[in-house]
Amino acid sequence: MSRPATAAERGLASCHLCLKLASKDLHQCPRCGSALHLRKSASLQRTLALLITAVVLYLPANILPIMVTDQLGNSTESTILGGVVLLIQLDSIPIAVVIFIASVMVPLGKMLVMFYLCWSVSHGPPVSQRQRTVLYRITEFIGKWSMLDVFVVAILVALVNLGGLLVIRPGGAALAFAGVVMVTMVAAESFDPRLMWDQMEKSDE
Amino acid sequence: MSENKPSVSRGRKFSGVWIIPLLAVAIGAWMVIHTALTEGPTITIDFKTAEGLEAGKTKIRLLNHQIGLVEAVVLKPDVSGVTATVKLEPEAKSLLREDTRFWVVRARVGAGGVSGLGTLLSGAYIEMAPGSATAKRKAFVGLEEPPLTPVGAPGLRLTLFSDRAGSIGTGNAVLYRGYEVGRVEATAFDTKRKKVRYDIFIDAPFHELVHSGTRFWDISGISVNASADGIKVKTGSVETILLGGVSFGTPPGVGARNPVADHAEFTLYGSYEETLENPYQHGAYYVVSFRQSLRGLVPGAPVEYRGIQVGRVERVLIKELAAQGMKGDNDPIPVLIYLEPGRLEIPDSEDSVVALRSDIEQAVRRGMRATLQTGNLLTGKKLIGVDYYPDEKPAELGSFENYTTIPTVETGVDLLQTQASALLKKLNALPLEEVVAGASKAMASADDTLIVLQSTLGSANTVLSGADTVALTGELTATLQKMRFVLDGFSQNAELYKNLNASLRSLDATLNNTKSLTRQLSDKPNSLLLPASNEPDPIPRAKQ
Repeated sequence: MSRPATAAERGLASCHLCLKLASKDLHQCPRCGSALHLRKSASLQRTLALLITAVVLYLPANILPIMVTDQLGNSTESTILGGVVLLIQLDSIPIAVVIFIASVMVPLGKMLVMFYLCWSVSHGPPVSQRQRTVLYRITEFIGKWSMLDVFVVAILVALVNLGGLLVIRPGGAALAFAGVVMVTMVAAESFDPRLMWDQMEKSDE
Repeated sequence: MSENKPSVSRGRKFSGVWIIPLLAVAIGAWMVIHTALTEGPTITIDFKTAEGLEAGKTKIRLLNHQIGLVEAVVLKPDVSGVTATVKLEPEAKSLLREDTRFWVVRARVGAGGVSGLGTLLSGAYIEMAPGSATAKRKAFVGLEEPPLTPVGAPGLRLTLFSDRAGSIGTGNAVLYRGYEVGRVEATAFDTKRKKVRYDIFIDAPFHELVHSGTRFWDISGISVNASADGIKVKTGSVETILLGGVSFGTPPGVGARNPVADHAEFTLYGSYEETLENPYQHGAYYVVSFRQSLRGLVPGAPVEYRGIQVGRVERVLIKELAAQGMKGDNDPIPVLIYLEPGRLEIPDSEDSVVALRSDIEQAVRRGMRATLQTGNLLTGKKLIGVDYYPDEKPAELGSFENYTTIPTVETGVDLLQTQASALLKKLNALPLEEVVAGASKAMASADDTLIVLQSTLGSANTVLSGADTVALTGELTATLQKMRFVLDGFSQNAELYKNLNASLRSLDATLNNTKSLTRQLSDKPNSLLLPASNEPDPIPRAKQ
């Protein structure tokens, strides 16, 4: 079964910036002048490096308190998981589920998926490229929603500031968590999905 | 063109982007190491209850500055209390000493005031008082009540013992001449001594007022004393009336004033008057045993050395004697006495008691003995005297139960009694019947003598009734008649009587003349020599 030839086979590369298709023999894009690469350069390395950064940041994001409530000089520190447990104890299970999914499941799942994709591109069996594509799409889509926690904290800090009576301060975990979300987003961006398809095409030959 | 065909550049083997995770790991590692290095100590504090203690919320404060947090509160395995695990800030590490104290600050409302109101809103917290000891410690026992005096405050900590719990409570004032110089820190009952124990603290400049001669007494409430002088009402300050308090001072007659060390022990008297009655604090117990009747010997009776009181009778150890089992019907009955060296103007201290003990040991060898003496013949009150009896056989100190015994002798009235009975016994033993028999013999011989005497008298009678004796009577009568005739010559009608009467009358007239001469001589003694002056008598006239 024949399949349509790819641009790479024809010796054509797409400009990263203006997406102009040009011969890969050219060093620079004839239109915008940026460097031409057949694929994103060092895509896997970058993605892996950023993923590892995200994992490192994920630890303090869960261990450190994300929010500090000063109530009449009595400060209470709450972590993400501690908050989930507290909500379950308060019978607010739907909210607990939302927070758990948005703050724990999503970033964790995203990182695991990205690791899986990086691994499968170089070593995995070239069978389920459609499944991988779906995974990649999901990662891209849900990535932006995992900032929910950080937003909640940011809004509370801005809203609740009643002098000595009640003050909410962001904890160290808020910064780390924001870092996790941003780093994973950049990691997803630096991953070149064409690598998945390249692998499939190679195996077809 | 094909010679210099550019291949797809794969770049360097490792992208520079790896710096980012390395940086993240480095920062993370630094944070972990920093936290580990600057981590504060974790300690445990035992409390009786977990009231107000919440894991993760209750703070540890020092001078109202947070230095830690309670991490966990768990029951002790034997359910005798709770153990709080506390994570402290690194700055508090050096403050954990052997004598560091912790207590829970809650809102407290007491007679002494209201404290810890702030904890009503913020919740209880644990206050820490840093210690000054050198030894370190990690497990503490929390105080139930906040300490009243900060650690290291200059002053003197003393322990008072009282037979009876007054209305003195924790936090009550200690006064010196009515001025507050300290406070009662703790009250407890000492089950060993069966006495109430008060821990008091005297603040710094005033602790110099306390010496070994100082006496403490209870000034709680109002003391009313009705006597012939009227009614006396004594009170302290309003605070001591309501809450109770302790006062101290030096009663007159207490000689030695040695400085006292921290945690010295004193007796707490019920009133100032009691301190005057029993001003001595140290003494030694001895036992003296007597075979005589102990009637009149009451607890508190004096023990005297040659009339000087050196102690008092505590009690008769009849129970102990019975417990030992009386062997015979004449067992000496032991009496417990208490000798106080302070009464002899010796410093009132434990050292003096030791010295007294050795002195008594020596003295007993030299013949010192205890005696039971009658103090008052009317009431029969008895006392115990101690004196030297050089004639006694040498003796040593003995022991009864846990006490040392002083050998005794019998003297005084009791001795007299004994001697009298001994005398009677001897009298009883005398051979009276033989004496009577002898006497009757003597009477019989006296009878014979009387008969002889009677015959002698009969012969005397015959002599008297003889003729010569009758003639003697006739002559005696004639002599008496002659005597009457002579006396008749002096009767009123006789010539001799009349002459005598006339002579007496002329003598009387002569004497009358002499009387006027004597008067003149006494008025004017020189009238015999000088002529009598004819000066007219002064005549009183009316004033012109």
